[in-house]
Amino acid sequence: MCDSCGCHTHGHAEKRVVEVHQSLLAANQEQAEKNRHHIEAMGAVAINMISSPGSGKTTLLEHTLERIGSRWKVGVIEGDIETERDADRIRKKGVPVVQITTGGACHLDAPLVHKGLHGLQDQSEDGRFDLIFIENVGNLVCPATFDLGEHERIILVSVPEGSDKPAKYPTTFTGANTFLITKTDLLPHFDFSLAEARQEALRIHPELEILEIAAPTGQGMDEWLAHLDGLLARRQG
Amino acid sequence: MHELSLAQGLLDQLLALAREHGAETVLTVRVDIGDRAGIVIDSFVFGFNAVKTSFQATSNARLEVREVTGDDLILIQVEME
Repeated sequence: MCDSCGCHTHGHAEKRVVEVHQSLLAANQEQAEKNRHHIEAMGAVAINMISSPGSGKTTLLEHTLERIGSRWKVGVIEGDIETERDADRIRKKGVPVVQITTGGACHLDAPLVHKGLHGLQDQSEDGRFDLIFIENVGNLVCPATFDLGEHERIILVSVPEGSDKPAKYPTTFTGANTFLITKTDLLPHFDFSLAEARQEALRIHPELEILEIAAPTGQGMDEWLAHLDGLLARRQG
Repeated sequence: MHELSLAQGLLDQLLALAREHGAETVLTVRVDIGDRAGIVIDSFVFGFNAVKTSFQATSNARLEVREVTGDDLILIQVEME
């Protein structure tokens, strides 16, 4: 019954207050947890690689895959705004790879990675992997707030970018497990302080593991492979 | 960050709620934004006021933001008719 005129026939707008109490950020986190379980069911450990464009993510993957050879079953999910260039490079190493092009989004999210996981399984006979690398869209800011379902989050900063990056991007470093300083073969040519980069990164996140790498020359690659070995050893199930 | 896409997400949810409750107009929207959510409140309000005009139901909706401790963005309450 209408409160204004007592009739039953016409639709006076009834004001109502609806209690919602729902997180608008929860959706990605829920999918991320599902991804994590999915990855574990595949037998794998997933690594989310985050960095600015051009820090050396794909190059590191190429050299890593060469060293791994057939020791471990590896799958790669490539994230880019446009092109399949990175997936093409990985494909040449003979490893299952899925390219996700976002068309505009500046980061991968859990739903996109979910599709990527299924894409990897389609390329594998038994759907099982040891390591899944997720190369995020080149961006030091946005990927930091999107859990993809990974077990390990790695941030790369290359020598030409400068040793002030950890200080300038604290949120990115707080959320990470490992910090790779790449292109260390270029140290003689740049004003990059390893001490500053390490100090600032540890100040923000004392538990961060820090490695120095120059993939093309092999510098630091043994330690990097040992790090991956450690991740696999701690794998459950 | 991504305040505009978050505002669009909120808009989608408001339209769904309005449909669900048979309401024609969204009057007031109350959200809590955590201080560690990484969301710039001004940008979020700006984004919401920009996108709300796309739909009759929300074009005059008033967004009220409460800043709270935490890392989430929560839709608390919607007033409709």
